[in-house]
Amino acid sequence: MTEYFIRRVLQSLLVLVLISIVTFGLIHAAPGGPTQIFLAPGLSQEAAKIQAHNLGLDRPVYEQYFSWVGGLLKGDLGYTFKNHVPVGQILWPTVQNTVILMSVAWLLSLLIAIPWGIYNSTKEYGLSDQTASFVAYIGFAMPTFWFGILLQELFALELDWLPLSDMWTMGQEGNLGNLFMHMILPVSVLTLGFLASYSKYSRASMLEVLEQDYIRTARAKGVKENKVIFRHALRNALIPVITVLGLDLPILVSGAALTESVFNWPGMGRLFIEMANAREYSVLMAIALITAVVVIVGNLIADILYAVVDPRVQLGKGGKSA
Amino acid sequence: MSMNMNTEIAQSSQPGLEPPMEEVTSTAPSKKPPGPWKTVWKKFSRNPYAMTGLVVLSIFVLAAIFAPWLAPYKPEAINLDGDMGGGGHLLGVDELGRDIFSRLLYSARISLLVGFTVAAASVIIGSFVGAISGYFGGWIDTIFMRFVDVMNSIPLLFLNILVLAIFGSKVSYMIMILVFTSWMSVARLVRGNFLQLRETQYVEAAKAIGVSSWGIIFRHLLRNASFPIIVNATLMVGGAILSESALSFLGLGVQAPDTSWGQMLSNAQEFMLTDPIQAVYPGLCILIVVLSVNFIGDGIRDALDPRQKATVSRRRLKQWRKDYSK
Amino acid sequence: MAERLLEIENLTTGFMTEKGFVKATDNISINIEKGKTLCLVGESGSGKSVTSLSIMRLIDYAGGAILDGKIKFQGEDLASKDQEDMRKIRGNKIAMIFQDPMSALNPVFTVGDQIAESIILHQNKSEAEAKKEAINLLRMVGIPAPEIRVKQYPHELSGGMCQRVVIAVALACNPELLIADEPTTALDVTVQAQILDLLQRLKEELGMSILLITHDMGVAAEMADRIAVMYAGAIVEEGTVEEIFSNPSHPYTVGLLQSIPGFEGTRGKELYTIKGTIPGLGNLPGGCRFNPRCPHVMDKCKSQEPLNFKVGDDHSAVCWLYEDKAPVEIGRNGGDTK
Repeated sequence: MTEYFIRRVLQSLLVLVLISIVTFGLIHAAPGGPTQIFLAPGLSQEAAKIQAHNLGLDRPVYEQYFSWVGGLLKGDLGYTFKNHVPVGQILWPTVQNTVILMSVAWLLSLLIAIPWGIYNSTKEYGLSDQTASFVAYIGFAMPTFWFGILLQELFALELDWLPLSDMWTMGQEGNLGNLFMHMILPVSVLTLGFLASYSKYSRASMLEVLEQDYIRTARAKGVKENKVIFRHALRNALIPVITVLGLDLPILVSGAALTESVFNWPGMGRLFIEMANAREYSVLMAIALITAVVVIVGNLIADILYAVVDPRVQLGKGGKSA
Repeated sequence: MSMNMNTEIAQSSQPGLEPPMEEVTSTAPSKKPPGPWKTVWKKFSRNPYAMTGLVVLSIFVLAAIFAPWLAPYKPEAINLDGDMGGGGHLLGVDELGRDIFSRLLYSARISLLVGFTVAAASVIIGSFVGAISGYFGGWIDTIFMRFVDVMNSIPLLFLNILVLAIFGSKVSYMIMILVFTSWMSVARLVRGNFLQLRETQYVEAAKAIGVSSWGIIFRHLLRNASFPIIVNATLMVGGAILSESALSFLGLGVQAPDTSWGQMLSNAQEFMLTDPIQAVYPGLCILIVVLSVNFIGDGIRDALDPRQKATVSRRRLKQWRKDYSK
Repeated sequence: MAERLLEIENLTTGFMTEKGFVKATDNISINIEKGKTLCLVGESGSGKSVTSLSIMRLIDYAGGAILDGKIKFQGEDLASKDQEDMRKIRGNKIAMIFQDPMSALNPVFTVGDQIAESIILHQNKSEAEAKKEAINLLRMVGIPAPEIRVKQYPHELSGGMCQRVVIAVALACNPELLIADEPTTALDVTVQAQILDLLQRLKEELGMSILLITHDMGVAAEMADRIAVMYAGAIVEEGTVEEIFSNPSHPYTVGLLQSIPGFEGTRGKELYTIKGTIPGLGNLPGGCRFNPRCPHVMDKCKSQEPLNFKVGDDHSAVCWLYEDKAPVEIGRNGGDTK
């Protein structure tokens, strides 16, 4: 167990370093590099050079990288170029907002999708199953942002039931009811996407398990049908679902970006898009790192859950095969 | 959302008991059995969804190819003559007075171009990486597959955004970055097939007598993996079209004067208050095309899947019993 | 005469396929006496497993259904029972063991849990009592150190061990009838013999009846009191084990026996194989279903379905070769035939 953790953490650290190098490299490989943002109108070449020098941007790339890592180890994420604001000050609120939005949408879709998929696996090709299949097809084929726009047009503009965008109405910050109203549309958009894949996935997984010999054995023992499903089949069916949930974490982190832009939700995804356009690389680096950490921690949790559910998996011995 | 998810689990089939109705005749087959393509096509053509998808997609492809002849106006032409939505404009004009129908036609060109190019290039790169990884195995395989793992664990949308924001928004860049972020599933598939093939006796035999096993493997690989690859590629077309629309919607993809459905949507959102209908058409086009492509992909997969399982409903059972007692 | 535990009368079952309904068993009748073993022998695809699943009514879960016929068990017709009543019989009075022991056990539960489940379910015992019982059962089926094994998971046991566990699960409630569907096919030869010995010993100790399904005439010879030979969904020959082996009558049975290596009469000769393959039940030939593969085929065989003829005291065969013998109703020649 401990050995497994040490190995996993070391692997993860390696991935983290890789991701930070790639991000850093990409930003510096751009024509003009990060200095380019200072070549804005109103700033002479000379002034830009001085600025760049003050910020250390004229040093070799690797030196800049190491000084950035050094700062990071001291808990310093750096400052934005434009207004010289600490990155953390911009970043943390958006992280929080994304977590609020995503966790609600994700939990909601899991709560609906897994029971729904399981139910559908027992009533194959029934009305509910057909509906789920329809939802899945639409969910897979519809651009999420378009669905968002349609919802806005219908529920915010046409019917005026819900707010069009943002997280709070001006002056109502902190009012949970207000937040709730603002969340309904973006959460619906995100939920549809997750619902499509998770219900389909849990159904398929369950169907496969229900065909296994041990299910027949359980029935041959005279186990009640609902116990066959919930005691004998469910645990086995959840094993691949857990893997998918783990693999889905990158989508979970970045998937909100589009929805956040459509609904003007002040989250990390939207911040990333803004900062990418502004080339605020210290912010981009920080976001890249946060996402990497989330993904790695998530996979670790998935692995542990995996070992809890499936006695064949022993974390100490080689772990699961990918 | 991730497109290739639905291909992964549904493929394994486990017959619950020995199949009692296996179609084996005791007489020797008199005719040559039909080839795999023909059998698959036969099953495919009986699937109404798949066939509808094929017809609809064909219509879109033709419309995209013949857009210059079909479009009543130039996509960027500003027509201030007609009043909004009236006159000679089938679907009306946008805020600048550009004919929406013409713009939809021209957008189809870019969206489909991106979709098919990305899928094709991803298949080529994925097959190449998968083949090398599976053929050589060992540390080469380890490195490639770790790389695939890393690629799969980073938020690819962020990577797309980052690259396009830094290097500039061009269609060619967009295609490149989309290819770079979508070849992994094909690579996994091909690698798996290669690993299987490598162990087979005839490859060993071929190696022993000095025949290039590359040739053999490739021939068999094509026979073995072509269908799963096609299914994967089909679903990838849909995914690429969705990604293109998302990036263009964010202003990072197709730039004016070019036009794509995603870019039209980005425009439409700004004029949501005054002209909400503008947002409907491009989205509908994306939905229909991606839906068609997915129907085709699922149709091929179903045509390949030997499993045909139906549960017996009470009504059906009654019918059988009635038929039987007759 | 011995009491009959199970009587199957004219059982017809089938499956829904793409091309419509296909029969899997066609009008079969067999019976099993108390404390005796009946072997159902045939190639794969002949409908043996479907028959066993029908008795358990598990066929309902496999996409098939019973269309016609009766399955009388201790005087009650199982074919017309609803699933809830059937459930109380399954695992309690009738138990079943399957071909592949590794996949027949649920990977996420311990061996002990899986044995105890039946006991708790059918005998209203507490979990602690059931666990104790599970250890006893493991000891009974010959598993060493049952106190340790009971806490292990199936993947920690060998195939032979797993099959012993599967048997322990089946015996948990002292069933009257044990259905064993190819119980040794997936095991090594040495383990096969051990498992067969175990079944034989348990049958004698517990006085239960066994329906043994196998494709292996050798296994049948060792285990059976009676043998019923199945071909393409129908019983083609039925009789005591001595009759079947001393006087095999149906050409299919003869073929099966001759294809056993080392069987009397085959020694020194080239091993016999029955030409052709078993037909799908969707496209049976006209007349006798064995006619395309039969070495003694006659014109009549191609047009008329044969009747069941009494070829010995306690022995019948469905074949036109015995037209001169008295016809009997299929499956009714066992024991107390009038």
